[in-house]
Amino acid sequence: MATREVISTGNELAAIAAVDAGCKFFGGYPLTPSSEIMHVCSDLLPKKGGVAIQMEDEIAGICCVIGAAMAGDRALTATSGPGMSLKAENLGLAQMAEVPLVCINVMRGGPSTGLPTRVSQGDILQSKNPSHGDYKSITLCAGSLAECYTEVVRAFNIADRFMQPVIVLLDETIGHMHGKADIPTIEDVEAGIVPRKRFDGAPEDYFPYECGPTEPAVLNPMFEGYRYHFTGLHHDKNGFPTEEIETCRKLIQRLEDKVEVHKNEVESYEEFMMDDAEIMIVAYGSVSLAAKESIRHLRKEGIKAGLFRPITIWPSPAEKIKEYTDKIEKVLVVELNIGQFHSEVQRAAARLDIEGLFKVNGRPISPYEIVNKVKEL
Amino acid sequence: MAFNYDKYLRLEKMPTLWCWGCGDGVILKAFVRAIEKMGVNQDDICVVSGIGCSGRFSSYVDFNTVHTTHGRTVAYATGIKLSRPDKMVICVAGDGDALAIGGNHTIHGCRRNIDMTMIIINNFIYGLTNSQTSPTTPKGMWTVTQKAGNIDPTFNTCDLAIAAGASFVARESMLDPKKLEKAMIKAMQHKGFSMMEVLSNCHINLGRKNKMVSAMENLEWIDSITISKKKYDTMTPEEQLNLLPTGILKQDTEADEYCDMYAEIQKAQQGLRKPISQDDFAKKI
Amino acid sequence: MGTFKTENPGNQPVWVNTDNCKACDICVSVCPSGVLGMVYESTSTLGAMISIQHPEACIGCNECELACPDFAIYVADKAEYKAAGFSFAKLTDESKERQVAVIANNYMALDIKGAE
Repeated sequence: MATREVISTGNELAAIAAVDAGCKFFGGYPLTPSSEIMHVCSDLLPKKGGVAIQMEDEIAGICCVIGAAMAGDRALTATSGPGMSLKAENLGLAQMAEVPLVCINVMRGGPSTGLPTRVSQGDILQSKNPSHGDYKSITLCAGSLAECYTEVVRAFNIADRFMQPVIVLLDETIGHMHGKADIPTIEDVEAGIVPRKRFDGAPEDYFPYECGPTEPAVLNPMFEGYRYHFTGLHHDKNGFPTEEIETCRKLIQRLEDKVEVHKNEVESYEEFMMDDAEIMIVAYGSVSLAAKESIRHLRKEGIKAGLFRPITIWPSPAEKIKEYTDKIEKVLVVELNIGQFHSEVQRAAARLDIEGLFKVNGRPISPYEIVNKVKEL
Repeated sequence: MAFNYDKYLRLEKMPTLWCWGCGDGVILKAFVRAIEKMGVNQDDICVVSGIGCSGRFSSYVDFNTVHTTHGRTVAYATGIKLSRPDKMVICVAGDGDALAIGGNHTIHGCRRNIDMTMIIINNFIYGLTNSQTSPTTPKGMWTVTQKAGNIDPTFNTCDLAIAAGASFVARESMLDPKKLEKAMIKAMQHKGFSMMEVLSNCHINLGRKNKMVSAMENLEWIDSITISKKKYDTMTPEEQLNLLPTGILKQDTEADEYCDMYAEIQKAQQGLRKPISQDDFAKKI
Repeated sequence: MGTFKTENPGNQPVWVNTDNCKACDICVSVCPSGVLGMVYESTSTLGAMISIQHPEACIGCNECELACPDFAIYVADKAEYKAAGFSFAKLTDESKERQVAVIANNYMALDIKGAE
């Protein structure tokens, strides 16, 4: 695949990716450290005939994005911890009504106002279930500048495939990192766009929520002659509220199964020096950069360490993790929280002896901290 | 043949879930009659509602319809309208929906003057959730959260909308469906943010505990607190106290509409005009 | 499932759809001409149902139809009704008096004793 070289920041690349992927609408609210995404979108989108609007609050930010997505646009919002908490309820509506959109969360220290300008990876579990109720969310996590671009592009295609919000996690370090990145050409990105499915038959034959038990709804854009109903209530095949027992059960089961059954389509991870690894480090986001550096040091000293980096965090690559943890004894999860993904690795591995190196003071983890920890194992 | 309601309503949803004598049905009827008179294609209309009794409004009308989360109608509608500025977007919300949990979105919709119509059905109470105080519940009334009598001051919806910058503001009650229909047409034809407050009854959750046990008694009370704007304007401030004027309270056809202004941003960003400067707004700062 | 019966059932000035009526009394209260009245109906939720007592007195003002929250009462289209060879009545003192009596009878038809 042809690439182009750009010098930029993670946040800027995420915004550029959205525009290149055909996003036509941005709605948001200023929130450090994600605001640059809104800045770039408000510059680029009107150039392409799109819209970027700064709304009155975070809730309005996600709401107008859902509205634009219902009208048929690819739509984006970006925020950080406190904003994610505020958006949660309406992310739930987008899950329930099956409205595709992309929500970028540039993670900062939490909880609450936390450490607004400092790095964290504390929103891993939040992104698994931002709102109340049952559904299966899809969360991608960029681990390099180039991935700030490629994962946002991928997120738009996944959102349209599964008809639901896709969360892209950046962390403050990646978002504000400035440097060189090789990203795909616009032609390649455009060629890879898979728009959401649509129904082309007669309006009277159209039932937006009538689909296979593991398939997403087929929602035509508004104003095109297919009049139907969006609601956050349990709904029937037409989208109308219902409390019919089987319809309710099937709906919620389908929201789970449409992702669970097809999770191989979204699964993504990187294996770094894992071929002969005797120690497995699990890290993602900006921490994976320090982990790679530490592995190079360890290898020089003859310690065979390797990195497993999940790129799709939810649904997690549990089978792959199990495959490794079954044959590698020493497993270390390094992350900027107190073990949020560590618990997922424990679950996937069905082992309670998974080691962890955690940091929650708003500072990055240095390669030497990882080297020292590995040597202690 | 009477008026053909079948064309605009989802027949399989009838009868409505609303209580007997609920004004929401009258407003629904006035709304579809107004749409018929305007002659707008059903495919070109989007109705967005929130949570509460008024939230059901969207599921009864055969347009593109959205039943959103509590209070967020204007925010959803803003996304829909900016995405398709050529289409007609109508928000329907209750007093609790639009003025309490969604108050922020309501005033900012007014401020932006984005071309949509917001119908606030004001029945002075939280009806669906059983008689809690709303921002418009009159002082001294019994509510389930103020059993010794409500002490919370009230919002005047229309004054709020005027102050926030809506370019069309009107108030009618469901007591006069003909006037209501006409006002709705004017509100929907107006370009800019149109606030249409419709006073309605809830004899079930407001009336029964406040000496208005039937729809009729509740309507008589609404009649007693409303007066036409023409008469209201001739009254002294003492006489005006506790009265709500009905009719068109504000109509500004000159105000900049948000989608139009955003089109200017697009032109400027595409190099088709010079950037927007303070001079462009010299008269209107 | 309620359906609308907007089609005139046979040269009537005003007709009702009892599937949709919830017996709120509003239409009775707005009639200027004493055409309507409630009757007891044990199968209805509120134990009452709308009925047309004096169709010959209907003046075609449409107030009942517009005020009905439940799409349960319809008035003939003036032009169509005329074309079919019929016309609406004029408002008379007798009609007005009957309307006052119906309201005093708690919206019940006059041959039934309304609740106090």
